[in-house]
Amino acid sequence: MLAGILIALLALALLLLFWFFFAYNSLVRMKVRVDNAWSQIDVQLKRRHDLIPNLVESVKGYMAHEKDTLERVIKARTQAIDASSIKDKSQAENFLTETLRSLFAVVERYPDLKANQNVLSLQEELTSTENKISFARQYYNDETGRYNTLIQVVPTNMVAAAAGFTKRDFFEIGDQAQREAPQVKF
Amino acid sequence: MPFSFIDIEEKKTRLLGLLFFFVILFYFLTAYLLLVIVRHSFFQRDGFAWPSGTATAAVLGVAFFVALLHWATSTSHLIEKLSLSIGAIELDERDVYHKGLQNIIDEVSVAIGGRRIQGMVIPSVSLNAFALEDFQGQAVIGVTEGLLTRLNRAQLEAVVGHEAGHIAGGDCLSTTVTCALAELYDEMFSRLKIGMQRSRGRGGVLVLVLFLIVFFMRFLSMLLRYFISRQKEYRADAVSVRLTRNPLSLAEALSLISTNWRGSGAAGERLESIFIINPNLSRLDEHQGLFSDVFSTHPPIGDRIRILTEMAHLDKKTLEDNLKKFRWVSPVAQAEFKEAQKEGPRSWSVFMDQEWRGPFGLEELSKIAGMAPEMWVRPEGAEKVIHAYEDKVLMPLFSPEAKNKASGKDLACPHCRTSLEELFYEGVPVLKCSHCEGVFAPGRKVSRLLIRRDKTFDEETIRLGQMTIRERDKRIDGLYRQKAANAWFLDCPQCGRKMRRQFFVYSYPVEIDRCVFCEGIWFDRQELEVLQYIYENKEQFFDDSSF
Repeated sequence: MLAGILIALLALALLLLFWFFFAYNSLVRMKVRVDNAWSQIDVQLKRRHDLIPNLVESVKGYMAHEKDTLERVIKARTQAIDASSIKDKSQAENFLTETLRSLFAVVERYPDLKANQNVLSLQEELTSTENKISFARQYYNDETGRYNTLIQVVPTNMVAAAAGFTKRDFFEIGDQAQREAPQVKF
Repeated sequence: MPFSFIDIEEKKTRLLGLLFFFVILFYFLTAYLLLVIVRHSFFQRDGFAWPSGTATAAVLGVAFFVALLHWATSTSHLIEKLSLSIGAIELDERDVYHKGLQNIIDEVSVAIGGRRIQGMVIPSVSLNAFALEDFQGQAVIGVTEGLLTRLNRAQLEAVVGHEAGHIAGGDCLSTTVTCALAELYDEMFSRLKIGMQRSRGRGGVLVLVLFLIVFFMRFLSMLLRYFISRQKEYRADAVSVRLTRNPLSLAEALSLISTNWRGSGAAGERLESIFIINPNLSRLDEHQGLFSDVFSTHPPIGDRIRILTEMAHLDKKTLEDNLKKFRWVSPVAQAEFKEAQKEGPRSWSVFMDQEWRGPFGLEELSKIAGMAPEMWVRPEGAEKVIHAYEDKVLMPLFSPEAKNKASGKDLACPHCRTSLEELFYEGVPVLKCSHCEGVFAPGRKVSRLLIRRDKTFDEETIRLGQMTIRERDKRIDGLYRQKAANAWFLDCPQCGRKMRRQFFVYSYPVEIDRCVFCEGIWFDRQELEVLQYIYENKEQFFDDSSF
């Protein structure tokens, strides 16, 4: 009788151990995915930082009177490169997005610039990179949301607490309007 | 329930196993049926008996073997084969429109976790899009040239999102494989048809028997594709909305595609399953119910649009009004001839002797001993490491032929003998003579120039175009009477052989010079514009728009 209970307890303990392994592994898997998603954003952000000097260089000649706008873009870029934590980064990048937008608004006013294929293709590249950033952010936030949920729900939260998994920050968006469906211009 | 695209990946294998099982079952049932019929009609005229266990096992073995053979032949070089049969070609990386498409594809691929997807294009005016995937994980999204010129960026992104939904959702691979399996018999069938005509009775019986067998198998394999659920289109629509958060653009795109020519009658229409909307008009597609659920490949288009517009909190009427007001915006700054974008001096890092060296310019690279095509290089500024042979600019390093071409003179104008300048026209890189204003375009670029509509025409072009159509009969007559010396007048700038002076086609009687070897076309001044004008206003000139 005692042996029976002992075996049952042992089996239960073993089962618990297996479950622990399983939960731990799935947490690790999720964490790797979140890291991967983050590196996706990083790649795109870096690409944008690389493109900006080219853009500034090719519009500089046309826009002698718009020095302020150009300087703001350059400053925002330096800030974005220097930012380290996810929170700082998302703030700096949002600021950079805004300054770029105002730059493109200015470009619209210069017919010479608009007819310049070089500027146009740089603009297309930057638009594309910006879309990629927002898609990568979407992917990162999706994965982070799933990971954060997994850490907080019972019973995985016990494993997460024991093994030291902590919540991740979302990559926040500056203004709400930005993420609403892009309006199609007719 | 799968939570993410990565979970879906793991489900794919099971689906393919099921598909393979179906192929075996298909051959087994066919062979078994044949066995029963043959036995019953030739050997056991009185009384019916099922074949013995051994016979059944033998049939099963043969069926397994044939299925394996069929599977192996169909699924090797999947993407190459299928893209060939629908006439899709790789993107021209210098073309403005094509670059935009690849950008959109790259964007969407980031949204599904950053997997590399190649872009392709079908040089056709029709509106459609497709996705392919093979066992190695290589994926392709392709659209028609017509789609590129009719949809705006947001709509194109929604369509690409839909196709990416097929790839990420895991149904693209099984669809591609199913299409490839059915394609084998289609191809055999068309080849045998030609063979039948050629043999003219010689060995006729054998060919006829073969023909009948293939015909039968083709019919059966057509049933295979009904294995593909039409529900996958709804799912891909949903994924597209989830990725782009823009149901309205997808609804608009679907509406535009469904109200235009989708490419029926063009090559590869039987591979309907891989397209976003069935290229063939099918009454079955528009119906609900069990029968059409089983025997159609696409769900009712009206239903798809309704779901999407509801997501955007709009009704059908607003969508139609929007589309009526819709004006397409060209991604090209100006349709006129624009100077090509000058590329700065490029440089590459090279992986040599177990370490990365460089970056070097092209000049320095040519001096390095031991450069080989299969060596790893990283173009400066790029993330990806590639083989040296993948970069066209590096080719002169390895092939003397390419070296001559690169260092040799630019192509020369056949009239003035001055070198031609590369310029962008409607986003297509073409060669133009600055002196006589003639234009040379390789054959595959001409279709692009005709399909695109960035160019607006001046009065002279319109007058010339209308005159050309009015004097069509006279012109055709005149061309017949011209002397042979005039007919073979110019040298092809590309291959140096004589070009033939002829009409572009008889419906558009614009005289051009066509190289019969490389299919390049030389347009004298204004010939290209006049041809474009006639092509883009063909409804006005011809009552029958089938021209």
